[in-house]
Order: sequence, then C-alpha cells, then structure tokens
Amino acid sequence: MQTSITFVLDDKLQTIDCASSGWITPTTTALNYLRGLPTHKGVKEGCAEGDCGACTVVLGELGNDRTIRYKSVDACLVLLPMLHGKQVITVENLRTDRGELHPVQDAMVETNGSQCGYCTPGFIMSMFSLYKNRDHPSRAEIEDALTGNLCRCTGYKPIVEAAAKSCVHRGLDHFSEREPHVVELLESISKESIHLRTSNQLYMKPASVQEAITLKHQHADAIIVCGATDVALRITKKHELLEKIIDVSDLSELKTIAESEAGVSIGAGASLSDIMPVAEKNFPALYSMLTVFGSQQIRNLASLGGNLGTASPIGDMLPVLIAYHARVTLESLDGRREIPINTFITGYRKTLRRSDELITAIVIPNLNGGIVVRSYKISKRKDLDISTVNGSFRLELDGNQEVKAIMLVYGGMAERVKQAETCERFLLGKRWVRKTIENAMPLMEKDFSPISDARAGTEMRTVAAKNLLMKFWGETTGALIDNQLLSM
Amino acid sequence: MENNIPHESAAKHVSGEAVYVDDILVNDQLLVGRVVYSSHAHAKVKSFDLSQAKKVPGVHMVMCFQDIPGHNQMGPVVKDEICLAIDEVTFVGQAIFLIAAETEEQCINAERLIKVEYEPFEAILTLEKAIEKNLLLGPPSTIKRGDVDSALKKAPHTLRGELRTGAQEHWYLESQVCLCIPGEGREINVYSSTQHPSETQALIAELLGIGKHEVIVEVRRMGGAFGGKETQANHTACWTALLCWATKRPVKIRLFRDDDMKITGKRHRFLSKYEVGFDDEGKLLTAKFELNSDGGAAVDLSFAIMQRAMLHADNAYYIPDFSVMGRVFKTNLPSNTAFRGFGGPQGMAVIETVIDRVARYLKKDPAEIRVKNFYGLESNNVTHYGETIENNRLFMIYEQLITSSEYHNRRRSVNEFNASNEFFKKGLAITPVKFGISFTTSFLNQAGALVIIYKDGSILVNHGGTEMGQGLHTKIQQVAAAELGVSLDRVKVNATNTSKVPNTSATAASAGADLNGMAVKNAIDILKSRIAETMAHIFSEQYHDDPTFRDSIVFENDSIIDSKHPNRRVSFTEAIPLLHLHQVPLSATGFYKTPNIGWDKQKGFGKPFHYYAFGMAVTEVLLDILTGHHTIVRTDILHDVGDSLNEGIDIGQVEGGYIQGVGWCTTEEIKWDDKGNLMTHSPDTYKIPSVQDIPRDFRTALLRGVPNPDTIRKSKAVAEPPLMLALSCWLAIKDAISAVANHQFEPEFSLPATNEVILLSIEKLKKNMEERITLDFVVQR
Ligand SMILES: Cc1cc2nc3c(=O)[nH]c(=O)nc-3n(C[C@H](O)[C@H](O)[C@H](O)COP(=O)(O)OP(=O)(O)OC[C@H]3O[C@@H](n4cnc5c(N)ncnc54)[C@H](O)[C@@H]3O)c2cc1C
Ligand code: FES
Ligand code: FES
Repeated sequence: MQTSITFVLDDKLQTIDCASSGWITPTTTALNYLRGLPTHKGVKEGCAEGDCGACTVVLGELGNDRTIRYKSVDACLVLLPMLHGKQVITVENLRTDRGELHPVQDAMVETNGSQCGYCTPGFIMSMFSLYKNRDHPSRAEIEDALTGNLCRCTGYKPIVEAAAKSCVHRGLDHFSEREPHVVELLESISKESIHLRTSNQLYMKPASVQEAITLKHQHADAIIVCGATDVALRITKKHELLEKIIDVSDLSELKTIAESEAGVSIGAGASLSDIMPVAEKNFPALYSMLTVFGSQQIRNLASLGGNLGTASPIGDMLPVLIAYHARVTLESLDGRREIPINTFITGYRKTLRRSDELITAIVIPNLNGGIVVRSYKISKRKDLDISTVNGSFRLELDGNQEVKAIMLVYGGMAERVKQAETCERFLLGKRWVRKTIENAMPLMEKDFSPISDARAGTEMRTVAAKNLLMKFWGETTGALIDNQLLSM
Repeated sequence: MENNIPHESAAKHVSGEAVYVDDILVNDQLLVGRVVYSSHAHAKVKSFDLSQAKKVPGVHMVMCFQDIPGHNQMGPVVKDEICLAIDEVTFVGQAIFLIAAETEEQCINAERLIKVEYEPFEAILTLEKAIEKNLLLGPPSTIKRGDVDSALKKAPHTLRGELRTGAQEHWYLESQVCLCIPGEGREINVYSSTQHPSETQALIAELLGIGKHEVIVEVRRMGGAFGGKETQANHTACWTALLCWATKRPVKIRLFRDDDMKITGKRHRFLSKYEVGFDDEGKLLTAKFELNSDGGAAVDLSFAIMQRAMLHADNAYYIPDFSVMGRVFKTNLPSNTAFRGFGGPQGMAVIETVIDRVARYLKKDPAEIRVKNFYGLESNNVTHYGETIENNRLFMIYEQLITSSEYHNRRRSVNEFNASNEFFKKGLAITPVKFGISFTTSFLNQAGALVIIYKDGSILVNHGGTEMGQGLHTKIQQVAAAELGVSLDRVKVNATNTSKVPNTSATAASAGADLNGMAVKNAIDILKSRIAETMAHIFSEQYHDDPTFRDSIVFENDSIIDSKHPNRRVSFTEAIPLLHLHQVPLSATGFYKTPNIGWDKQKGFGKPFHYYAFGMAVTEVLLDILTGHHTIVRTDILHDVGDSLNEGIDIGQVEGGYIQGVGWCTTEEIKWDDKGNLMTHSPDTYKIPSVQDIPRDFRTALLRGVPNPDTIRKSKAVAEPPLMLALSCWLAIKDAISAVANHQFEPEFSLPATNEVILLSIEKLKKNMEERITLDFVVQR
C-alpha cells in the first residue's frame, strides 16, 4: 500500500505525501495545487464549479497500447489523488524548449482570439486536447470541444477559427516526440492501492472492485468518488471537510463496456465520453442526451454511476435510462444484485442503494423493433446547462397505430424523476394522432405541480412538459420538420 | 501606421504568462483577506461578537467599522456607501466585517464563528414596490422638446405600453481582486483590477486618513471589466487596503465567483412606459417616455446611467415632439452600476420596441418604418436635447447592409418558411445604433500621459487608461510608434500607475483611446518639438550657409531626418544619446481635453457628445416554438469606427459586444428571492452565451472610407456601441413569436427573451387566436 501519490508534471515525476506537505490535503483540487506553485499561474479560476473552463488542463492517460490519451478536464473539479498515475499538462507546457508557441497558440494570436486573456489558457488547453484527438475537426466538433470554456470578451468566432486553422497536423507536436519518455515515467508509477491519512482525513484509492467493496463495508460512512464532478462542489463551494473518501475513478473493472446480443453493460465508472460511441450506435436517445450533457471537460470526468449516485431530480441520465428499461447492478460483500432502474430512485435524492453497496454497472437492453425511445432537454442555455425540464419517452404502437405501451418520464417536474402516469393511462390504447395528443396534454397538470426556481417558473415547466409530448408525437410521425434544422 | 497587429499581450495570453493580480508572486508573508457580508436585505445590526473568530489559529485580524482609521466611506460620486456597516444593513452582500488569515480555510472557519444579531426591517425588492412607495434615490429629470401632450391628441394613431428590461451580471472572467503591499511609514502599494485607479487611490487615502501621495495604485491588466470595475472594484480594494493597513502585511482579497455575483451591482433593470403618436405611413410624430430604473441601495453611477438612457431613447430616430422622464429608485439590493452601454441599451430597447409595434400595427416591415424615421442628413437632424447630428452615417450603413445582407429576399423566405412550418418559426430584424461618445459629465473628458525616451532609444509610454482586453494599450503603442516614426518593438506601454499619470478619469464611456491617444500624441508632439529644435542645430553645425530648420525635421523609419535635405539623417538609436549630451529633456507629459462640448444637465440641453458612433445589424433566428429554444441563423453587422486604428481589435470589439448584448437579450436572467438573496449567483444558473450560441453564419464588416474629423488618427471609439446591435436578435425572436399568430397580435415580450418568456408569450398568442376564432364564430351566427 502506498501513502503518497505520484504523477508527471513538467515531464518529471512528482510525488506528494499529504501527511508531510503542509498546505496540500487529499481533497486539494488540482487547480489549487497548480496555482499554489509559482510556475503554473497560467491555470485560472473563474468559477470553481466546472462551468467556465478557465482552469482547463489536459490529462495524459496511459493506454493499453503504450500510447497516451489526452483529455481536457476542469482542474477545479479534480481532486489531487485522482492525478495519480497520469500526466498533467498545463498551458505553461505548450511552448517548445526553444520557446516557440504551439500551433494552437500561434493560431490564437493570429486570429485575435484573446482580448482580456483570462479565459485564454483554458481555451488553449481545450484546443490542445482537440489538436491531439482530431485532425481537421468539423465546426460541430470544434464547438463541442470548446463548449466548456466561457469567454466574455471575444464572441468566440476567432477562437473557433483558431481551432480550425491549427488542428491540421494529425496531432503531431513536441508532445508526440516526448511521448515514449512520458510513457516510461507513467509505467514506473505503482498501481498499488493508496491510503492517504492526515489528522482529519482518510482518502482511499483501492486497486480493485473487491477491495473497494471491502472498504465500503468497513467504512459505510465513506463517500464514494468517481468523476468528482458532483462531489468536488461540496469542497469548492460549500467548504465541507470530507473526512473519508473511497476513490473508484481509476478502477479499470468499472470502466468496461460489454456488448452482447441482449444489450450493453456499461461499467459505472466509465466516463460519459467513453460511453458516447456505443450510445451513438445502439441508444440514440441516450446519445442525444449525452451531446447536451455538461461539456467535454465534464464528460471526460463524469460517470454514469456518479450520475445515478447523485439521484438528482434534474439529472439527465435517469429519465432516458428508465425509458430504455435499464437495470442497475449493485455490489457489496453480500454479493451482487440487479434492479430495474425505475425502482432505483425512491425519493428526493434517495435510492435503493445500501450504504455498503457500490454501483458497478448499468445494463441497457437493446430495443426490439417497433419501439421508439426519444429524449429531450430544455434548459435556459442549450449547452452546458442543467435541465429545466427533461423528458424521455418510449412508445410502442400496434398495427392499428394505437398505443400498445408508453412511458413518459420527466425530470425537473417533481422532487424526483417521475412518469406522467395519468397521461400514460389516457394514451394507452388510443390512436397515435394529433387529436389524442392534444387531449392528453392538459392531463399533464394532473400529473405534476412543478416548482418555481432560479431556472424557471411553474407555468413554464408545465407548458414545456406538454410541448415535449407534442414534439415527441411530431417526431415519431414526421409531422415536424427535421430537427436537423436546429443543429445548423 | 501598422494596423493589423495582434493584441500587444497576445503571446502572453496564450502561453499563460500574462500576469493578473492574483498571479503576482508575493513572499510567504501574504495573508488572505475575506469580507463577511450581510445575510439580510434590510436590518438593524443589533449586536455582534467577534471574539471567537479572533481566536482561530492563523487569523491575524478581524475588523469592523470601529477599526477604520479614516472616513468610513467608499461612495464614488455621492458619499452614501459605507465601507463597513455600522448599525444597519441595506442589502444582502453588504460588507460588515473583514478577516485576514494565513489560509482561506482559516478565514472561513473564523467567519463561521462570528455572531451577529439582526432585527429585520421591511425590504424593498422590486421596482414596482419602490415605484409604488415613491422611493426615489434622487430627483427625477426630464428632457423635452415640443408639446407632447397636444401632439399625442392630434396624432392619427397612438400606442402605449410598458417594457421591462432585465439586469445583467458583468461576468468578467477575473472576479474582483486586489493585492496590497505595505511600504514604509504609511505608504501602501495597491495592485487592483480597477478601471479607475485614481478613484481607487482617492478612496483608499480617505479611508486610511492619509494623503493620496502615500497611495500608489497600479493596474497591469484586468481579466475583463465591462463597467463592473469602474466603481465597484473600489470596494474590494478598500477592504484589502484596510486589512493591509491593520496587519502591516501584504493582503489579497479575491472574491469567490458567487460572492462577487452576490455583492456587486449589475446593469440596471428598467421598467419603462411609453406613449407614441404616428401617422399612416409610420412616421413618428411624438413620443412620451417614462424610464424607471432600479438603482439598488446606493447612488453609485445611477444618475449618469439614467441620463445616458434618456439621451439614447431616440436611438437613430427623429421625433419632433418628444419627452423623456427618468427616475431612479432605491431598493434593498446591491447598488447597480456601469455596464457596457451605460443606460444606452435600456433607452434604445424602448424606442426599438415602439418602432416594432408601429410596424406590426400598420402591417408593414419594421425596416421600412425604421429608415423612414432616421435622423436626416440636412434637416430633422437635431436631437431632443439639442445636439446637431453631424456626419450622419445611418443611410450609408442602411443601404449597404440591406443589400449585403439580402434583407428583402430573406424577409420573403422567412415568410415562406413560416407559412409552411407550424412548430418552427423564423424571425428577422434589422436595428440601428447611434451612440454618443464622451462622458456626459463634461469635465471628465480629459486625459494625461507621460512619455519617456530612455538613453538606449527605448520608449516607455504611460497614460491614464487601463487595459481590460479592449486593446487600448495596443492602440496606444501603435499611435506612439507612428507619431515618433519608430518601430513598434521600441515602444512599451507601461502598467497604469497613479504615480506616473495622476488625477485620471475612469477608462470608460468607450473613450479610452480617444482621450489617452490624444494625450500621448500631445506628449510626443512636445518631445518631437524639443528634439527637432536641437537636431536642427546639430545638423546645421556642418552647413552654416544652408541650415536645417526645425520645421523640416521629420520622424520616420526609426530615424530623424531633415526632409529638405534627406541626406541629413540620424538613426533614432544614435540620436537619443546625442540629444542627452545636448541636455534635451527626454520625457514629457501630455494632456488632452475634448473640445467644443458642453451640456447643461439641469436644462437637459446642449452638446454632450463629441461625435456619434453608428452601426447596424441584421439578425435572423430560428425558433423551436415547442421548447422556446432559438438559434441565431445568421447575423450581418456593419459598424462605423472611422479610420480603424486596428481592424482586428475593432472587429473583436464589435463581435464581442454583439454577443454580450445577445446574452442580455436572451439567456442572462437575474433573479432574486423574496428575501433579497440572489438566486442566480453562479454560472450554474446564470447563463452567458457559450460558443454554441453564436450565429451559425456571422458576418462583421467595418464601414470603409469614413474618417472621423478631430479625433486620434481619425478613428472612432468602439467598445460600447456594438452591444446594442443585439437588439436585432431580440426583435428577431419577437418576430418569430409573432409569426405564430401570423402577426395578427402584439406578442407579450420583455427582455431577456428567455425560453420561459418565449413559451409563455406563445401560449398567450394561442389563447388570443382561440378567442378570436370563438369570437368570429359568435359574430357569424
Ligand atoms: C459544470 C457541470 C455540468 C454538469 N452538467 C450536467 C448535465 O448536463 N446533466 C446532468 O445530469 N448532470 C450534470 N452535472 C452533474 C454531474 O456531472 C453528474 O451528475 C455526473 O454524472 C456525476 O458523475 P461523477 O462520476 O462525476 O460523480 P461523483 O461526483 O464522483 O459522485 C456523485 C455521487 O455519486 C456517488 N457515486 C459515484 N460513483 C458511485 C458508484 N460507483 N457507486 C455508488 N455511488 C457512487 C458519489 O458518492 C456521489 O454521491 C454537471 C456537473 C457540473 C459540475
Ligand atoms: S474554474 Fe471554472 S471550470 Fe474550473
Ligand atoms: S478574452 Fe476575456 S474572457 Fe475571453
């Protein structure tokens, strides 16, 4: 067992022992750590909650093929021990040894992509990640890569141009040259489990699922952390002292995505980014939700297990997983159980998960022909926003175009994710025509009495919930013009 | 002049090497400062106990109002803002105590141990309530021409209505921050992210009871400001200075994002009422506006902002009989403050709404109504406050933009699209901007500079303006290099420093380059004249019969040359040591004040503006009427910056301003709860535009061949005016909503047009249509 963590920074191994380091604790964020150094002040804080991207850094992760995968993340959400075994790249590392700017930096200068410059290091790092992952990216890919970065000065156009201009060298740069060296460094870092103990905190990073559930059994009060995109806010915003943590972010067993004929089993710890390809192929409604989930920086960290773990009434994954009839796998020392996801949530931020259990996988059955699942998200801003209302719908029609089975699952309409049961009952057996929908819409008021909050009022939520049903009908029947128009 | 150069700090920005206040390396004596603020919107502070907080290990200081050595005040114009509350708090976020400790955690632990006993009073949290109770922050004012009431009676058509425009949070990426380092004796060095270093200096001096000459304020750059650091950077600076004074250690306060959003003021929300009279053709005959703004708990710049709103309530339109009344109300919210546009957007939103309504009423294209009412070139060219509009570019811009944007074709295709789509609607709008350039408080239109030439020929330019991303230092560097005929790399623009250039105005009102550029030019003219005199002597030493006269000396190509005898030349690098030997003073101060302006606030009459900046935008949106989500399909902008000093920077200002305006018009919504707590206090709930919200097709151009007389290198100010181009996006959304009912009804509309506003407006229109159908049915029977 190790009592310190090690990562690569500035092409060198850095080892940190929280017990003796003074100002660094196990829950110090990567942002605060980097800004605490005299040499990495380029990493900026704009919000400390994952919404602005000023703190973006790129993590290099060792792949199976001895190459490095580069991922942009918000350093304000990354707890320092999550860096163990990884390479951390900040804006200061982008110039070559000879002092030349990296192609993405050069392009930003040329296009006037910076004004006040405060957002710029974050954009540069998102762009660097894009540079390493995509050659000649499309505008949509560029925008997706930059959605997690806010700029208040430029209006973004020159930044998009800079990305288009620079990401054209097949990812080659001085990092490519130095990769073999970094791979060696990363391989030299021990994979043993880690326990970081200070006077008031215990941070455990088990090396296997078995160890994780054993630890959870021993420490029922410990908080599980995976992507930390939710948990980190308790530290950065509420200034809570998290005394015990079990970090499952690095468990490869939790990241497996296994496809079978029946469906797909997705490890609870797989990042949402890693899920996107299989979702795009098999579960389009899940995929469409993922495309408007947070930002790339968030999706590179966040996990499905974590999203269910929050049990948030406005979480985006639950409604669509319910509509797909997914099942959750829970594991403890007592063994494994699988429960239908619609029974998993029991109340406001309450679930069936016992305190000694870990969510290990989510199983999504493939759809039989004839069944349609669609999902919709309404938020004040289309991207990087939390749902005001979201809806995921499942429909099966019989030969007479009559409703054989239907699920209308809503988030943001009640204290938990909830189905519009009155509406569903009404629709059952009715012909799937506009008149039916129009008659069903008012029933939504029987199903829900949503709250007013910072995002929207009761009336708007009710109107939105009704409209989504109409939208679903329109899309299933082709009565709407193509949604493609919106992604122009 | 070299025009298309990147921002002088661009390479530093992209490499993370640009130093902001929070990045300045300080020794390990640095303490972290924290402000503890009121949790009540209005309450008496009955008692408090700091003793437990003071005991927290690592805490060096916990202060309250009693510990202030000087004047407990930080009001910029009116002295109505107490630095630390005494016995009453008037908004959530008002500072009461200050803490300095070795770590942030210690500060937070200490804060948790502070006990305060409040006695809550009634809090006024809405503009409606403040209006109802007539809680004015100061006297109302009116600007008026003609007899509006009788003109309204005579007008063939009249309309009246009400418009709400929302508050807006600045959301500079760098939150408020200040670092203070004690000097010897009473000296204090202040590194503040402020647009107004001289005011920051003055307030700190008064607060500490010391002379301004003991306080040095320096600003290298800000990470965005947009008006939010014009007066309200002073607060953080004052708090930091107090802690520094009390602990005799370096202290830094950087507001956490949520605290920044809760504590600082926003763009003023307005509730405006209007009544207009017009003829069958849509020509405006008269208008009567009543503008009401929410000033918040203190005056700050509210009256200057209201004044600018009143001076822009005409926007680009000539209205023969016109009266605008403005009132600023007091509420128990943080004092609202400057924000790019400074009241202009709120004033323009009213008249643009009026035009839009007139067009719908007359079933005409709003573009047609707009051009019909533009100020004329020769006649109908005097504003309601008596300034004659010279160099009117409205028609020139309109004609070019209507053509380049293919407005009329697109109007047709929008109509066709709307006729064949039920669930998606398109909207199109063109709106103009005419924006007056100058501080309306006329004496503020002054600037100073100090230009230094060192013996190696390198040049350091100091001026009173601050760099917040707008590219001011780049433009100044260009101007200085061009005026001295030297290459850019010879010129460095220094961090703004109150000990170099004193008694400056805020970098605001878009006038930074206009004023400081001229002051720098003035200093350089002085230097050039001294140099020319001595160089003429030096050149003449060898040519007694055919001497060089000072007037023929020119500065070009890094050389000083006798233009009559071009072989008499010396390189700049060689000349400077020579001039030093000849005892020529190689530094000079420069000064500038804007000529020929004057404005009588009391009468509401005069020439407040040196000139006007013009621009226009055409925006097309696609609206999903089931979700209320809009996409900006295309935006075309044509904007007038005179002869651009730097096209890259100017286009950046235009595009950035437009998008910031789009935010104000669409997704940026400020909400307070019924206790006066800001509900939208973080980017989680407060949504500024992201990269995906910009127009799918975004075309920006600068108007060509229109040098501006009597300004630095014939340029025009840019910063603020483009923000208001976004009203075209707002009205395009309204146009799309209106299409739901085939433009038969006036949609309910306010600003911002969030998806909530949009969906509810559509619901209302649907009801209107149903009622009309039922009505028609009844009538037929
Ligand atoms: C900027 C930003 C944008 C966001 N956008 C969205 C969005 O668009 N839609 C949305 O739904 N959410 C959004 N979120 C919320 C959050 O990112 C998601 O809920 C995410 O899926 C959480 O995953 P995680 O791995 O980061 O969870 P963590 O923060 O690691 O954990 C979250 C919770 O789940 C528990 N948990 C984690 N893994 C397990 C496990 N294997 N077994 C048992 N319990 C576990 C943790 O104990 C914790 O209580 C956003 C968050 C941020 C900061
Ligand atoms: S600081 Fe804003 S995302 Fe990290
Ligand atoms: S350049 Fe100022 S926030 Fe992007």
